[in-house]
Amino acid sequence: MKSKRHLVSLAALSAVAVLSLSACAGGGSTGGSTNASGNYNISFIQGVAGDEFYISMQCGAEAEAKKLGVTLNTQGPAKFDPTLQKPIVDSVVASNPSAILVAPTDVTAMQAPLKAAASAGIKVVLVDTTVDDPSFATASIASDNTGGGKSAFDAIKQLNPNGGKVLIMATDPGISTTDARIAGFEESIKADSSFNYIGVQYSHNDPAEAARLMTAALAKDPDIVGVFATNTFAAEGTATGVRQAGKQDTVKIAGFDAGPAQVQDLRDGTISALVAQQPALIGADGVDAAVAALKGETVTKNTQTGFQVLTLENIDTTGKDYVYKSSC
Amino acid sequence: MTQTAAPTGVPVAPNEQGKAPNFLARLTGIQSFQILLVLIVIFLIFTLLAPTIFPNWTNIRQIVQNVSILAVLGIGMTFVIITSGIDLSIGSVLVFSGVVSAKVMQAIGGSGWGTALVGLVVAIVVGLLWGLLNGFLIAKAKVPPLIVTLGTLGAALGLAQVITNGVDIREVPTVLTDTIGYGNVVGTTIPLISLLALVIVVIFGIILHKTKFGLYTFAVGSNEEAARRVGVKVDRQLISIYALSGALAGLAGLLSLSQYGTTAIAGQSQTNLNVIAAVVIGGTSIFGGLGTMFGTMVGLFIPAVLQNGFVIIGVQPFWQQVAVGAVLVAAVFIDQRRRAAAARGSGSKSKVSLSSLWTRKK
Repeated sequence: MKSKRHLVSLAALSAVAVLSLSACAGGGSTGGSTNASGNYNISFIQGVAGDEFYISMQCGAEAEAKKLGVTLNTQGPAKFDPTLQKPIVDSVVASNPSAILVAPTDVTAMQAPLKAAASAGIKVVLVDTTVDDPSFATASIASDNTGGGKSAFDAIKQLNPNGGKVLIMATDPGISTTDARIAGFEESIKADSSFNYIGVQYSHNDPAEAARLMTAALAKDPDIVGVFATNTFAAEGTATGVRQAGKQDTVKIAGFDAGPAQVQDLRDGTISALVAQQPALIGADGVDAAVAALKGETVTKNTQTGFQVLTLENIDTTGKDYVYKSSC
Repeated sequence: MTQTAAPTGVPVAPNEQGKAPNFLARLTGIQSFQILLVLIVIFLIFTLLAPTIFPNWTNIRQIVQNVSILAVLGIGMTFVIITSGIDLSIGSVLVFSGVVSAKVMQAIGGSGWGTALVGLVVAIVVGLLWGLLNGFLIAKAKVPPLIVTLGTLGAALGLAQVITNGVDIREVPTVLTDTIGYGNVVGTTIPLISLLALVIVVIFGIILHKTKFGLYTFAVGSNEEAARRVGVKVDRQLISIYALSGALAGLAGLLSLSQYGTTAIAGQSQTNLNVIAAVVIGGTSIFGGLGTMFGTMVGLFIPAVLQNGFVIIGVQPFWQQVAVGAVLVAAVFIDQRRRAAAARGSGSKSKVSLSSLWTRKK
């Protein structure tokens, strides 16, 4: 029975392959499975895996989960893309956790999957981003992004007291947080006649794309004095683009977020100011809200966290704790 | 030519190998069957690791639902790869068709079936036009498929952003989202979108394996020059196949609108590569001339089940990509070994099974 032997060895082969994969994968897992004493099992779904903002949020959430004695498991799509995030959300819901902390990647596309999770009896806490109709959510915790946009304009104004041409380097349209930052920034800049606002460029969360757009924008308007980069990748790319064009002395960049790369850029002088959010606080507040809801306590429906503007002056002193982490 | 042109998934005619080998041996020799076994083993392992969650119908249902749109795209990609071509543009054509269709539906207004039907036709026609452009440039202008579809990948996405200014359209007729997007087949919990995808897959599976059009597809991929000499209209065949791939991407665009309720312009960033990976995992040879529709469907489920299982057992997300990558390379390795064996003429195809790769004969 040769064919039978083939079948057996085939089955054994694939079994070994998958088992070894999941075994080594288990070793690399950062989930809080070591701390299984808690009754509650919370899943955190990032907007994108491997981004310092979400890693800092994960760190904050993990620390809080450990303190409260609950289990936290983190998952995230490879790109900030609802078509990649939806299958992950569906899988997490299937695993039936007590609560989900999630940063939705699209206001419309993630509405139905997350509502389905809430209908299945899972407490859903929206962190950072939101959806069209968040009424099903237990709580929403996010930075006051409109206020963040205003802070960014104030930073640019401080750096360019005489005004001039200003550009926004955004990521993608349709993301609630960056749209609010842009709205806040636009509101402030339009109220100030000394500044000439020349519009928004969308870099699709790709630093290389942001660099290309920035060099092109500088070719068209060499007298740009300030750029507001709305997120980490946009700021990294903008800094590269400005350096490529040799304009680092005249163009002042205000970045949003404070990952290690931006802080380095701040120290180098490529970026002049950073508007730092408090992702660790958002993550910790998210876990608090989820646990409170699970225990039947009252939960604040909407929490807005604040900002810290980081410059060369305060980066080593009061601003130090606001720098995002690349690992916990 | 008969050696390489014969699709592996189609039952081999008994007289081809002199005498009919025993059924089981033949079955295990078919690569798409071997891949199915791998899928079953993966499934069983996750069932062991998460017995209360993983094998639940609610979980299986969502895996099936999430694979449905990719399955529609996988049909066209199977045809394309069998001709030894590639279509990188499907994700962008999907987005572009969705955008144009959403724009038209927005202009008509209303959220009934009339509007939805117009949207469906528009999406398919727009996709078809992109496919025709791809096919024409490949068959007539002789530009390599990789370059043509890389070009239309960028062009379609860019034009979608031009049309919308990069802002997603979020007005989709509610009949679409309620029925196709998240609805079930009446009286069951089977997602309607999955049933639709299955029907289309079966239709095109029959076309691929049982019709002259399908036979010509294999012939072109196996040896284009030979196909031309025996009278196959190669150019027309290639244009038709890329047009088919485009039209299916257009249809997928409407399905995506139904499922996500938005044009998701920034999304679908890895759709093309995921579909290509599924087709190749399913045993369709990247060098053309070999492949099955069944294999593609199994190939779609392997990454989907791996991802779902990994999420459920709580494995760090990065490992999921590593696992899928490993399966992909293994599939191509098997394909290469099989081709090398066939080239040496060492026996019939059925002897070159997955296990024989590890129990090497001298």
